[in-house]
Amino acid sequence: MKDLMRIKCLLSTEVEALLNQQIKKEAHSSALYLAMASWCNQNGFDGSADYFMKQSNEEREHQLKLFNYLLDMGANAISPEVLGVKHDFAGFREVFEEALEQEIAITQSFKNIVARCHKEQDYVTIEFLNWFLKEQREEEYKARRALELFEVIGEEGTGRWHIDKNVGKIEYNSEA
Amino acid sequence: MEKACVDLNQLINVFTDASGAVYQSDKLNCLYLDFGGKFARFNCNALLKFKQAVERIDVEDMLLSSDRSDYELVTFNGCEHIYLLNAVEVISLRSLLQGAFTMFRLNHLINDCLYRLVS
Repeated sequence: MKDLMRIKCLLSTEVEALLNQQIKKEAHSSALYLAMASWCNQNGFDGSADYFMKQSNEEREHQLKLFNYLLDMGANAISPEVLGVKHDFAGFREVFEEALEQEIAITQSFKNIVARCHKEQDYVTIEFLNWFLKEQREEEYKARRALELFEVIGEEGTGRWHIDKNVGKIEYNSEA
Repeated sequence: MEKACVDLNQLINVFTDASGAVYQSDKLNCLYLDFGGKFARFNCNALLKFKQAVERIDVEDMLLSSDRSDYELVTFNGCEHIYLLNAVEVISLRSLLQGAFTMFRLNHLINDCLYRLVS
């Protein structure tokens, strides 16, 4: 008997569903970063607003990368509905704390998908997801370093102004 | 489509239960659903979408709610077939399709193992 499902699509139903969930999470991340950019802009933190705007665009690119992979593999890519995006933040520091939490959640989510792919021996998707795992190293690094600026510089006096000016300078250059 | 129009000997029986059967044609790369006196042809994606449409039906609400009909129309955009089902038929069809998709999965696993053994 021909494996008709396999002829149409390289992915299992479970991996397809997980990747669609990830698309939704990336879309939510993108929307959340946009909300953070808005909050920062309204409160006079221009450097941070630019930083989060850039992050938002990156998340959108991740979303599309996953979306195109699903289509290329013959699967059904679902355009996500984004609901419940937080727009109010208690303060400048809380914005960055949430950003780090968000990145940690995304990394965990990718780990779950890779674990499922290993179980199914779906090496094609694992190879595709390796790019995201490496990307998460950078994303978590940047989010952690940004939060550490609050400890290094401090929020007192002109501290927030300096933090805002330095957030955009954070770079991840590791070749490892 | 009438069942008599199709040569069942040319088809592979994927799964059968008391309510019906799902057949596969390797020649035409399509699937046939034999259910409720109707013999319908689907491609893979269409049958998967149809299964998802059947699984989305809230059977409990169908049985308990007095505001809604006891019957549910099952189809989706682009589908050539429409089924009018009561709660018992929804459960039967759901079970039939789940059985068929389990067999597809099993077939995939066997094919996968065989490829590995041969190569």
